[in-house]
Amino acid sequence: MSVTRFLLGLTALAVSSIEAQQSSRTQPITGLRDNATGYHALVGARVVTGPGQVLTNATVVVRNGLITAVGAGLAAPSGARVWDMKGLTVYPGFVDASADMGGDAPPQGGDVGPTHWNPQVRAWFSTTANLKDDSTRRIALRSLGFGTVLAVPRQGIFRGSASVVTLSEAGVRERVLRPDIAQSIAFQRSFALGGMYPNSSMGTTALMKQTFMDAEWYPRAWAAYEASGRASLPPETSEALAALGKAVKGQQPVYFETTSEEEYLRAYKLAQDYKLTPWFRGNGQEYRLIDVLKGRPQPLVVPLAFPDAPNVSSPEAAANATLSDLRHWYLAPTNPAQLAAAGVPFAITADGLSSLQQFLPNLRTAVARGLAPDKALAALTTVPATWLGIDKSHGTIAAGKAANLVVTAGDLFTEESEVRDVWVQGVRYGVTRPPQVDPRGTWTITSSDPGAFTSAIVRIEGPLNRIRGTIEISGKRSVNLTSARITTETGRLEATFPGEAIGLEGSTLLAGSVRDQEFFGWVSLPNGTDATYRGTRTEAYEGPARGAVASRVPKLDLPFMRPSMEFGRTAAPPQPAAVLVRNATVWTQGAQGKMQNADLLVQAGKVVRVGQKLTAPAGATEIDATGKHVTPGLIDPHTHSGVSDVNESGFAIVPEVQMGDVVTHNNIWFYRQLAGGLTTTMIKHGSANPIGGENVYVKTRWGSLPDEYKITGAPRTVKFALGENPKRSPTRYPNTRMGVQEIIRDHFLAARDYRKEWQRWEKEKTGIPPRRDLRMEAILDILDQKLLVSSHGYRADEFLALVRLAEEFGFRIQTLQHGVEAFKIASELKASGVAAVVWSDWGAFKMEAYDNTTYNARLLMEAGVVTSLHSDNAEISTRMNWEAGKLLRTGVEEVAALSTVTNQSAKAIAIDNRVGSLEAGKDADFVIWNGNPLSQFTKAEQTWVDGRRYFSLEEDKALRAETARQRSQLIQAVLAATPAEGTPAAGAPARPRGPGGSR
Amino acid sequence: MSSSLITHPSTMRPMTTTTKSALFALLASTLLVPGAVRAQERMTVPPQDKPVALRGATIHTVTKGTITNGTIVLDRGRIAAIGGADLAIPNGARVVDVTGKHIYPGLVDAYSTVGITEIGAVDVSNDINELGDFNPNVRAEVAVNAESRHIGTTRSAGVLVSFSTPEGGVISGLSSALNLEGWTWEEMSMKGAAALNVRWPDPNARPRRGFGGGGRGQAGPPPKTYAEQVQQIKDWFGEARAYRDAVKSGQDVRTDSRYAAMIPALEGTIPVVVAAEGAAQINDAITWGKAEGVKLVIRGGRDALFVADRLKAENVPVILTSTMAAPERDYEGYDGAYAMPAKLYAAGVKFAIAGGSGGLYSNRLPWDAGVAVAFGLPEEEALKSVTINAATFLGIADKVGSLEVGKEGTLLITTGTPLDMTSNIEQSYIQGREINMMDIHKWFFQKYMEKIKQQTPKKVVP
Repeated sequence: MSVTRFLLGLTALAVSSIEAQQSSRTQPITGLRDNATGYHALVGARVVTGPGQVLTNATVVVRNGLITAVGAGLAAPSGARVWDMKGLTVYPGFVDASADMGGDAPPQGGDVGPTHWNPQVRAWFSTTANLKDDSTRRIALRSLGFGTVLAVPRQGIFRGSASVVTLSEAGVRERVLRPDIAQSIAFQRSFALGGMYPNSSMGTTALMKQTFMDAEWYPRAWAAYEASGRASLPPETSEALAALGKAVKGQQPVYFETTSEEEYLRAYKLAQDYKLTPWFRGNGQEYRLIDVLKGRPQPLVVPLAFPDAPNVSSPEAAANATLSDLRHWYLAPTNPAQLAAAGVPFAITADGLSSLQQFLPNLRTAVARGLAPDKALAALTTVPATWLGIDKSHGTIAAGKAANLVVTAGDLFTEESEVRDVWVQGVRYGVTRPPQVDPRGTWTITSSDPGAFTSAIVRIEGPLNRIRGTIEISGKRSVNLTSARITTETGRLEATFPGEAIGLEGSTLLAGSVRDQEFFGWVSLPNGTDATYRGTRTEAYEGPARGAVASRVPKLDLPFMRPSMEFGRTAAPPQPAAVLVRNATVWTQGAQGKMQNADLLVQAGKVVRVGQKLTAPAGATEIDATGKHVTPGLIDPHTHSGVSDVNESGFAIVPEVQMGDVVTHNNIWFYRQLAGGLTTTMIKHGSANPIGGENVYVKTRWGSLPDEYKITGAPRTVKFALGENPKRSPTRYPNTRMGVQEIIRDHFLAARDYRKEWQRWEKEKTGIPPRRDLRMEAILDILDQKLLVSSHGYRADEFLALVRLAEEFGFRIQTLQHGVEAFKIASELKASGVAAVVWSDWGAFKMEAYDNTTYNARLLMEAGVVTSLHSDNAEISTRMNWEAGKLLRTGVEEVAALSTVTNQSAKAIAIDNRVGSLEAGKDADFVIWNGNPLSQFTKAEQTWVDGRRYFSLEEDKALRAETARQRSQLIQAVLAATPAEGTPAAGAPARPRGPGGSR
Repeated sequence: MSSSLITHPSTMRPMTTTTKSALFALLASTLLVPGAVRAQERMTVPPQDKPVALRGATIHTVTKGTITNGTIVLDRGRIAAIGGADLAIPNGARVVDVTGKHIYPGLVDAYSTVGITEIGAVDVSNDINELGDFNPNVRAEVAVNAESRHIGTTRSAGVLVSFSTPEGGVISGLSSALNLEGWTWEEMSMKGAAALNVRWPDPNARPRRGFGGGGRGQAGPPPKTYAEQVQQIKDWFGEARAYRDAVKSGQDVRTDSRYAAMIPALEGTIPVVVAAEGAAQINDAITWGKAEGVKLVIRGGRDALFVADRLKAENVPVILTSTMAAPERDYEGYDGAYAMPAKLYAAGVKFAIAGGSGGLYSNRLPWDAGVAVAFGLPEEEALKSVTINAATFLGIADKVGSLEVGKEGTLLITTGTPLDMTSNIEQSYIQGREINMMDIHKWFFQKYMEKIKQQTPKKVVP
């Protein structure tokens, strides 16, 4: 968007105005009335009245802001100003269902009034009440063809209500089409608004849940207060909660802005759980969820943000290009086409681009990469108009509709075209103009002063905003014009050229004016001589023709993969009806112990039995495992990979946050864990809080969606943290182990008070109804042993203190984790029934970890404590068998050593009814090893989860080959699509030309 | 096996069961030894005073094959003889029957911080990074805490020789070869200035303030380009060479301890170990090292496979420090790091494997080498990578790294390969001394078995 274009946009203001609806306007007219007719006929155009509807040589009649007639060959009515549209195309004005119009920044010092305790909750903000948009954005969006937008506020998590506004230059009172129709919500907080909490994705989700619930409570609380005749003190006032009233009843759409496929899934689930009416601002990754999106009717508004090509300019750079990035580079421009092909309704937005200048080129790229122009037009007109409830007046060119039009030179979707004018409600806004006088071509000029020169040839070429040229004085060498520029409205040219063109030192100044084929002007020579000249055009200028936009990106065979990255799967592995693993050393980790020459039979994802010489059911998949070892799938009760964030550290106590809300399947570690035999892990909240968030149990079902990783029916556990980590924030209580103990204790007391309040209400039903508090409810769940405590800590003292606190309040500590000093209180843990989850050999990395011993697990086992190993580390979680093997050197017997990553781990985290051993009825999670699983020299050959083979060395080899194939093809594609001289063009060869440059 | 004053290591070794009866058997065997409870940590033993003959074991010499039912004689700290069952045993020798056991040379960790670090997050307990980018004169040995807990646990894993190494800046300083036995660093030191360490700049790094990270919170000069950083290294070596030449030619120069410390590296009497991970880094480091004429060793070598042909052709050895690391790039297989030694071996590149996790975890060195076996490296090559190769690259192969007559009597008596946890290291010798096998981990085990014993008989109600 050049400066000239913006200026054109502004200067078009005075062309006309609408007065027909004067009766619905309140502002008195001062001074003289502006009564331009507002009556126009656009004649001779190619008119695309709607998707798939084209009229040629057609006329559109506009009067008083509305279209009054449209038809092919229609004569212009008398009285209308006639606009010759020959050679031009007219489209319906575009509608952007997600526009950032600015004007929503908080005032200095923050928002005032009773809004909400959390500065990120600004649901009370109204884009209508605060309509004061940024004129630069308005003009920029309009110049792309948009006449109407949904202005969506952008500050905070709950951002306020979005309004449909028109992009005219009329006053704000005349621009609102639909006020405050949807509540805008985003998963990314605005740092400018401040506030400590939330500072993580799961904290954000928790805040959303709590706020939805508060908004449901708020009107009830006030109603109770009013109904009582104001016989008590009132509930708190919150404009934010008041504003969300309709949304939480499903009566007003909640517009989720998503920045990733995971966020879309989270938003969808929240909408379901809280019975909201969701709209979605998409993120460009929808092609990864095509199967999920199919059949979903909710509004989905996708950006055209296409990534730059990964850097492959050197062998080392190419070696560092990930398949994930390469695929996204290739597939992102096909995102709209894939949505269209799958029949998913979607609109296109100009939002989400780093510069609005990318919009039209990217739109053409999307079309070149498979999006039908009609679908593209629909996604910019009829589809969003319908969703915004303005389809009766917007979206197509038809009599009676608002006169919102886009006039282009060339096909907007398939050619390097440009927008000439955008009409909004009958007012024309010029965007670009064709040159009125074009001085380009070859001119022969003769001078009036033969002392200066006699004749010369002047050549002028290039785009009009950057013209260049040469001058060749007869008998001399041709030289370049320097600093040449023209005014196309008048055809006046100014330039300089070196004096050497006429044999003088210095610079020569040249001025000239063009009229038709004639050229008049004067030169000022370095020696002081001025001379006039005149000339004629001897050759017309032939610029490059307007090209159809084609993609330079070669067509590749890139299968759908989940996740869309290295080793991604094209489909979930099948579950054979029966699997019989024959003749292995089977470590059942159950009553049968370790069996030689044994068979493992699995049916429908469950273990049937382990025994010798079992009979294969008909059709069973048989695996000869002679010489191999078979163990249960390994378990790691403490990892942090596979979630979007780890710590919600905004508050010291955050049990309301749930790691299960933020599982991400775009995590290569799940695959690597499978490769090391790991099938079950608990992904934990971080250790920044005395009471952290709720953990999530997953199986390593690589290739699944986030929710499919979770183990349904698993116990609920919450992370506690003791010691150095939760006390290290200097500005947040607590700062000592004493304070850690007290803040936990105080919250248990608070939860008891909360329960009392509810019990009183349930009994009496008088007064203001209490509010549901997710944090308090979580703590009550801990007290009720529905939520088990899994506590991080190192030292014996802090663990012992927590064990005693648990006894005082009657909650259950399921596991103590890390427990570098757990051995010091082994007997106490045994007595209290607390399981220990420890490392094999970590220690000394900080003060509280200094008293470590590799005999920790051994000592705990000697005392009879249920003992498991854990990793707390992505790398180590991929080799838990070797971690268990290290215990051999402390004298632990083999089966007992393996138990610390299988059956005892399962018992420690209370899922031993499902996993951890190869016993009848357990999940068929097992690993086939090429030797003793506890040996450093052994590796996993196959890993099965739920009776499905999720990993095998053989398949791994094939996946590596496929990864290599895709990478090399994509790297070649990047090189092919990248202009040799410059930076990658992101699959989009089309570059906007300067104004008037294409004729 | 010995008559040590304190708890005997072999009885210390825990029983292989978790049942109660075994528990008490164990307690009886450990705690009834006089003085056991007083012995909190390993005891240092005096230098070898009489010959020892270890008889009946399978001897893995590393360089001279394997001898079954062999005999090895240690005298005055060195290996006096190696042979079969019939090897003559000197008069007065203590004869130890190790029938059925295996004898390996003590493992050598080519890159460690053992002795110069104690607690990771406690800055004051770490003496690894000196301030500033150019510290060629700092020498690890003088900062080695002979009482560090990690020395004992490292020894227990079979690692008996460690190259403790400064890490900061660009020219980090001199690593020292240490025997992990002795009352003081002086007694432990085998070679105080064993190698000069250089950290190669990263051409792909985004420019940052300062270079080399001379210290926390230090306001550095404006960021330097990669070329400038490389030139800086060249300049330092150039200056050092000029200094050496001036000194050599007898000119009256003012002393400069930094350049003086670089002279052995310039002369090729000690190697220059260059930390380099990426392919471009490794390539540029080789180009530089060859032009400089130094005895070059690459350390790190994450992308060594990209440079394998050149490493072989230019005869540059690599000390791998990340065989247990995550694959650098997602498209590399899950075993990218595990399988790299096998691939380098196939490509003919010379390499050692070093502990990648610093002094706190030097006891993991055997696994760093063992993992390569699981992914295709012949076991004997894995063993070489933590013995003779490390010793050879860093210039102490005349002393350790293999079991050969004349080398130091630094060895392990084991039930099998030290690289696999399915076998145990039962006793080690350093310079002919039968060292005490106690360490802090075992000490805590002993002490807290006593607590369990005291508390178990009481009936506890869950």
